Amino acid sequence: MDLENQKRVKEFSEQYGPENIVVLLGASEGEASGLAAETVTAGDPTFAGPLAGVSLGLAVYHVCEPVVKEEFDPAVYDEQVSMMEMVLDVDDICKEMNSIREQYCKYC
Amino acid sequence: MNNSVIKGAGYVLVHVPGMVMYHGATQTTERVVNPDSEYLKELPKHMRSYEQCVAYPPNQTYIGNLPIEELAALPEPWVDKTVEGAARYGKFGEIMPEAEFIILLQVCDAFDLVHLDKDFVKAHRADFEAHPLMTDAIKALVKEGVDAADVLHFTKEEAAEEIVYEDKVVGYVKRAHDVDVNLSAHVMFENIVAKASGVLSILHMLKNTGISPADVEYVIDCCEEACGDMNQRGGGNFAKAEAEIAGLINATGSDARGFCAGPAHAMVEAASLVKAGTYKNVVVVGGGCTAKLGMNGKDHVKKDLPILEDCLGGFAILVSENDGKSPEINLEVLGRHTVGTGSAPQNVIQALVTDPLAANGMTILDVDKFSPEMQNPDITKPAGAGDVPEANYKMIAALGVKLGQLEKTQLASFVKEHGLKGYAPTQGHIPSGVPYIGYARESIMAGKTKNAMIIGKGSLFLGRMTNLFDGVSFLIQANTKTNAPAAVVSTGKQTVIGIAAEGTELGRENLETAVALAAKKGVKAVIVEGENCHAKMEEMLASGEIDAAVASHYPFPIGVSTVGRLVTPALGKEMFLANTTGTSHTDRVACMVLNTVAGIIAAKACGIENPTVGIANVEGARQAEKALNELKAGGYAINFAESSRADGGAVMRGNDLLKATSDVMVMDPLTGNLMMKLFSAFTTGGSFESTGYGYGPGIGAGYNKLILIISRASGAPVIANACEYAAQLVNAGWVKIAKEEYAKAKRAGLDRIIDDIKASHQTAAAPAKKIEAPAKETCTYDIHGIEVTDIEDAVASLWEAGIYAESGMGCTGPVVMINDAKKEAAEKILREKKYIM
Repeated sequence: MDLENQKRVKEFSEQYGPENIVVLLGASEGEASGLAAETVTAGDPTFAGPLAGVSLGLAVYHVCEPVVKEEFDPAVYDEQVSMMEMVLDVDDICKEMNSIREQYCKYC
Repeated sequence: MNNSVIKGAGYVLVHVPGMVMYHGATQTTERVVNPDSEYLKELPKHMRSYEQCVAYPPNQTYIGNLPIEELAALPEPWVDKTVEGAARYGKFGEIMPEAEFIILLQVCDAFDLVHLDKDFVKAHRADFEAHPLMTDAIKALVKEGVDAADVLHFTKEEAAEEIVYEDKVVGYVKRAHDVDVNLSAHVMFENIVAKASGVLSILHMLKNTGISPADVEYVIDCCEEACGDMNQRGGGNFAKAEAEIAGLINATGSDARGFCAGPAHAMVEAASLVKAGTYKNVVVVGGGCTAKLGMNGKDHVKKDLPILEDCLGGFAILVSENDGKSPEINLEVLGRHTVGTGSAPQNVIQALVTDPLAANGMTILDVDKFSPEMQNPDITKPAGAGDVPEANYKMIAALGVKLGQLEKTQLASFVKEHGLKGYAPTQGHIPSGVPYIGYARESIMAGKTKNAMIIGKGSLFLGRMTNLFDGVSFLIQANTKTNAPAAVVSTGKQTVIGIAAEGTELGRENLETAVALAAKKGVKAVIVEGENCHAKMEEMLASGEIDAAVASHYPFPIGVSTVGRLVTPALGKEMFLANTTGTSHTDRVACMVLNTVAGIIAAKACGIENPTVGIANVEGARQAEKALNELKAGGYAINFAESSRADGGAVMRGNDLLKATSDVMVMDPLTGNLMMKLFSAFTTGGSFESTGYGYGPGIGAGYNKLILIISRASGAPVIANACEYAAQLVNAGWVKIAKEEYAKAKRAGLDRIIDDIKASHQTAAAPAKKIEAPAKETCTYDIHGIEVTDIEDAVASLWEAGIYAESGMGCTGPVVMINDAKKEAAEKILREKKYIM
């Protein structure tokens, strides 16, 4: 996750409290989703950004996960996400996301 | 209006391990943030040799040595594969070694900022000078170099940027200003690298296209650097700086920027400039970027891979006027990511791919190959960015599924059939759509594919001016001018032809049938309704509601005459009859000369590149032939046909008319009209014209309205053909063709020749003085080629010179008969008086 985004996630969680934040990802595959999810839960695994060594444990989901999809107006989802849903390996993304949440999420 | 074409391209890579280490942004940042990092220590062990870089399959594909299909057939990753017989040079360009490029940097420096160690110059100058594309002018710019002490002083004391070759500092780039960061040594280094790799790309493009450097009129640079000083940070202009070194003496240029979408924007701009006629030859060029070298180096080192981002990339593409051969840039199929488009991938693909296709009645299946960001997956996959081109193809296919253009089960096969493997270095703008243009040109010209869509996308938010994303796309297609004359060019926006058949003798049903027949040919025709339909037709033409009209009569001004088009019976061959109605000139011979130019225009606009011209053997034919030869001698290209009769010549007999010996048959108006009628109705008895394309368009110098004439007896097939003829003229850009032909003919002396004809006929009309015949001699020698109306005057002119002559009728026309002994003297006189050629 790029440094600017790490900074913003950190600031938001300080401003609103980590229990009130949900991070929604749109990464294009499982590994990248997992890395971003790890960054906002366990901390920056590359130790390069503001979240290095900072375990926020935030609730984090990928926009293609069924539990997130249910929250959307189906028409909006169809217009904005359905094409990518067809392209992405959703199963792999869900697997990665579940694994990270099980290990590091404090507010799920 | 004619589309512009892709004339050719140059693609280069430059292997620069030294620059990876000392100028790549990932490395320079790491040096600042974490100078003792493991990464910096590990990095040198992961650098490839020049030979490894050359043998690397995607690099061979980039320069044209390994076809994309063959690369795709190699199992991934390619990092451990090598290409047998890999070479430095390929059909598109080369992979230049670092030492030669360092000398090129010095050559491209116009402000004495780049200085090289003399020993380095001495060691590598010969290699540089042996480069097949370096001109004498370029070689003359190589300097001897400086002492090692000088290098040391400037790099240590004067903030100069080091030039490193094989771990040794072999030169430096000085700062161009003490305070201004825009002219700092670092920025100057980056800019001169971009310029030098751009120049190298142009040199290869010049070689590959064969264009003379002097013929390039405009250059658009689309790299991602900016040059300027503190008062105008992005003032420019790389384009002109590159043109200067490459010897494009007659070119100016400008820089276009749009992050990675820059090249696609620049291509659209170049195509528009050429299509508009502003310039004939425009070069789009993009040099390489040092900052992106080793960009994903940390991931590559972590995964124990070599540093694959060890090359600068560059390209140059020549966009030219339509040559009737090269693939065209179709600007009707133009995708744009607009401010209102939105940023979801779905919105982006729709705006760049499916919307522009739909606007032209096409689906994604109508495009043979898509070229989005062509990043090499070997580089991006280990860095977690996946296979970029493949992701794009999946998105295009998925949107196609959503739009019902293909089934979900076809997703994988679509990616395979319409996609390409990525092979370009991750140099931002370099992989963005344009790498495929060279291959696309070849594939389309070989008939393997019919078109390709080039898609450029850019991340504008990186500049912190807007959060928006950007992109633009366009279609490259097979040249439409090469199609057979009967084929109608599809330009997306359909040409509409109005039929204004006032006073037709064949009824409304005949017109409706004609509209239906035209539609079958792919031509949209509409019946202009109402009693005064000719006035209505004028309105519709003026408003652009119709692009051309087919009318049953029309009062063309003097100077405009019509070129009919018919199918001759002997061989079923088409022929253009110039003319069939209208008056290009009040003098019959002058009229025939002007009709010839009009006939050539019509034939060229219908796709006959170099039409043959014959002159019908009517009164005035010989004089017209003489005048046309004068025009030809003046430089106007006329491709005379040879009569099929044994005695040949450009004057055509009846047989030639039946066989269409020439593409263009020059006529006087009355005979032409008669012939048109005969050829259109000879099988029906005359009340119904069943074959041919009608009496044709009115063509004259400066006349831009397109109205084609039919008769009141023209049947539905003829009217439909006339509509097709009209659509062809519109789609071929007949106004421009006409303008060019008239300009060429005028330069060759058309106006003077017409005036001479007029003047000679006025003298001929003056009462001739009585001349007595000299003593009679035996006349056994025939002089041919004299106009029948001039024959007695020709005889008199010989009598006047003391040569006895008689007139007579030979088997091919009138002759003057004289004594054998006098033939040379007689011919000389007749030639001087312009009775014969």
